[in-house]
Amino acid sequence: MRAARLVSALWLVVVAVFLYAPLAVLVAFSFNDSRRDIVWRGFTLKYYAQALGDADLIAAFVNSLTIALASTLASLILGTLAAFWLWRFRFKGRAVAEAALALPIAAPEICMGVAMMMFFGRVLPWPAEAPWPLNLGAIALSHITFAFSFVAVVVRARLGSFDSDLEAVARDLGATTWRVFREILMPHLTPALVAGGLLAFTLSLDDFVITFFTSGPDTVTFPVKVYSMVRFAVSPEINAASTVLMALTLLLTALALRVQGASARLVGAVGA
Amino acid sequence: MSAAESFVAESPARRPRLFVALGLPPMAWLAVFFLVPMALPSALSFGQNVTLTRIAVTGSLANYAHTLQPLYLRILAKSLAIAAATTLVCVLAGFPTALAIAFAPARRKPWLLALIMLPFWTNLLVRTFALMAVLRPEGYLNKGLGVLWRLIRAPAAALGFAAPPFHPLALMNTDVAVLIGLVYVNLPFMVLPLYAALERMDRGLIEAAQDLGAPAPRVFARVILPLAMPGVASGVILTLIPALGSYLTPDLLGGPSSLMIANVIERQFHAADDWPFGAALSFVLILLTFVALAARGAMQSRRS
Amino acid sequence: MRRRSLLAGLGAAAAGISLGGLDGCEAPVGRGRNGEEARLNLYNWDTYVGATTLRDFRAATGVAVKMSLYATNDELFARLADGNPGFDVIVPSNEYVTRLRLAGLLQPLDLETIPNRVNILPTFQNPAFDPGRRWSMPYTWLVLGLGYRKSRIAGVPDSWKWVFDSDRYAGRIGVFSEADDLVRLGAMYLGHAPRDLPTPVIDQVAAMLIHQKPAIKVFHHDEGQDLLLAGDIDIVMEYNGDIAQVMAEDPDLDFVIPREGSLLDSDCLAIPTGAPRPDNAHAFINFVLGAKAGAEIAQTIRYPTPNGAALELMDAAYRDNPVIFPPPAVLARCQYGEFEGLARSRLYDETLTRILVS
Repeated sequence: MRAARLVSALWLVVVAVFLYAPLAVLVAFSFNDSRRDIVWRGFTLKYYAQALGDADLIAAFVNSLTIALASTLASLILGTLAAFWLWRFRFKGRAVAEAALALPIAAPEICMGVAMMMFFGRVLPWPAEAPWPLNLGAIALSHITFAFSFVAVVVRARLGSFDSDLEAVARDLGATTWRVFREILMPHLTPALVAGGLLAFTLSLDDFVITFFTSGPDTVTFPVKVYSMVRFAVSPEINAASTVLMALTLLLTALALRVQGASARLVGAVGA
Repeated sequence: MSAAESFVAESPARRPRLFVALGLPPMAWLAVFFLVPMALPSALSFGQNVTLTRIAVTGSLANYAHTLQPLYLRILAKSLAIAAATTLVCVLAGFPTALAIAFAPARRKPWLLALIMLPFWTNLLVRTFALMAVLRPEGYLNKGLGVLWRLIRAPAAALGFAAPPFHPLALMNTDVAVLIGLVYVNLPFMVLPLYAALERMDRGLIEAAQDLGAPAPRVFARVILPLAMPGVASGVILTLIPALGSYLTPDLLGGPSSLMIANVIERQFHAADDWPFGAALSFVLILLTFVALAARGAMQSRRS
Repeated sequence: MRRRSLLAGLGAAAAGISLGGLDGCEAPVGRGRNGEEARLNLYNWDTYVGATTLRDFRAATGVAVKMSLYATNDELFARLADGNPGFDVIVPSNEYVTRLRLAGLLQPLDLETIPNRVNILPTFQNPAFDPGRRWSMPYTWLVLGLGYRKSRIAGVPDSWKWVFDSDRYAGRIGVFSEADDLVRLGAMYLGHAPRDLPTPVIDQVAAMLIHQKPAIKVFHHDEGQDLLLAGDIDIVMEYNGDIAQVMAEDPDLDFVIPREGSLLDSDCLAIPTGAPRPDNAHAFINFVLGAKAGAEIAQTIRYPTPNGAALELMDAAYRDNPVIFPPPAVLARCQYGEFEGLARSRLYDETLTRILVS
């Protein structure tokens, strides 16, 4: 068992190096006194000043975060409902419904982007002049549409391993459906909800193509801003902004876990 | 679902209200915000441009006939191969990762999850450029390898092995670079579903198997793997399908022949300005995915 | 195509841009003298404006500019194709001026309200893609050529041959993955004018590039200057303005326009159909064509400027740079790529796909 621990720890180190080596380069270049990520030309902090002073960039990031939080929440609800539905009931056309619910994953981004642009242009014109954050609605609705499929797939897989004997026992003991749901099913699902939520959040925060087609002059998001700034070469300002964001995320994660105290509650301690 | 699924699904007739309450919101959402919007480009796929921006929907199948040319079928086959290779590497690399997280002490788990996810909250394009800085001929990987090579070359020469001088690995602008890039981008889409499936796996089962003297590989094959299968299946869906549709990674890391189907689709909507054909290509891709998923679902229903 | 400012005084430049953005955010929405809201939505490439242009314009007219960004002409076109979401001024390249105009997506300019158009250099007063400048005003211009690393290339590679038709630099060659440019330049190398190409010539170009493919390292997306600077490749098809920027970082780099001739490119200011504030849009275009504003923009972007009055205000390092301003004799061999209809651009696109797949 000891050896297994060691091997798995070593493997995590390997994965971490793979994931973080490029990020280390990114952080290093945020201090590089050159417009390009290519040659080292001396140390500078000026790109940090630039990134932190860039009101458009910060506004774009606030938009992205707002959209990501809203669409993660909605995707979790819709995706979980869909997964329960597919798991709970056996009905004609279930396989088709399950495949249909996974379709947003399969639609090429650009095609879905154009579809959304046409939809919000013709079928459901979205008021671009609406007050913030309502003007972000078209983008958030599009994000929910592709993100909830991911949640549904993950939660559906987790439900596959649910031990229904537990439910039967609970029912025999007189538990209501609601109590069975809250006290037996939900704890079982927590890891899938965490995983699905993380996926939905990541997808929304990073989406460029679909957002590009649904955003207007007043609804620029972080990826849209970044893509137009660096489509074919990273500017150090973006490196600096990314570094600040990474540091912030790290700090917030640490804080959240501290506040949570027993972090076990987040993921579930049984079996630890 | 899999053998691990002991739950028996019931008929909607027994709980009609629950059936509607669970099924209606997601299906209605899918219909209004996915099927209706997608119907617009799907109509275009049966049309032709009459002016630069006006497309007449004529019901013609010409665009679909065009997609069946060997030229586009070859690109589709190549994209499938690259996406499948990506998925395979992700399973092989993601399984031990998810296992290590799922079996880690509870208080470390959130940290390990954060460790995996943190890179993905940095913009995809920014990350891809950083990866290019690592992989290029004069990049950091080659610089590091060059230093290592020089270090071992001297002792090797002393022992009578004349090692050749270091040649930088030509990784950039090849299919291998595309594969590395796609694994880099898609790994969490494999790790998270796997983790969700493996987390809180019944340790009793594993310990019982070990107590009975089962060797570790056997425990893995007979106990862990079957329990993980639903997670593997969902991980494969979440990795294979998006990998099939990627265009930025092959664009930036690929070589002269690393064209993938999404690159072609992207050019139809942009440079070539051929929305009808781009839409037709998209719907061929969507249809293929749909058929594969529905067939898989039907097979599972039959099995259970 | 990428558009970005580089070189001199960048810290100040970017700070200026963000201040401009801030102004836009906080603009009180009053009405200007012309009765329009005192706002303007500019749709542009990133950092493709002078350090203080937007602020200066606001100081001069009271109109606050909000700049939104796109990265390619195709994105711009696609975003406008289904209706203008509220942009007043856009900056398409020449070929797309034609495309947008034919699609009915541009408004004709009211030339009376743009007196500063007299500042435009004669060469740009009456281009083939917009005779009489009724739809667009020139903002910058560029020319395609070969950027190369002097220490790795023998002499001056002043022919397209070295990227299209020779294995001397095999594995170190980068070419544009822009279908139209690639096919047209291939045809120019083979001795044809870059328009109305007969099918056999297109096939000949395709065959040549398929034959050349093993020697080509990368089909790039206008990041050729970076690949050259990083040492990934040693000779690359790129725009003069882009190569001029990396030459400032690495003296071992240079640029040449091949003797077979090349393609010109010009980004232009235009007003899309349905622009909510056309009077402000005209005022902005006129402002940018002024001598001082034009020089301010050239100072930041360092691409060639078509604004003669602005050019006179520029420093010699810019004005006399032979890469930014190639000799007239060389430019005489260059021409604009023309939009020749959808069927044409689709044919070129499929030709590129064919080349990439084989």
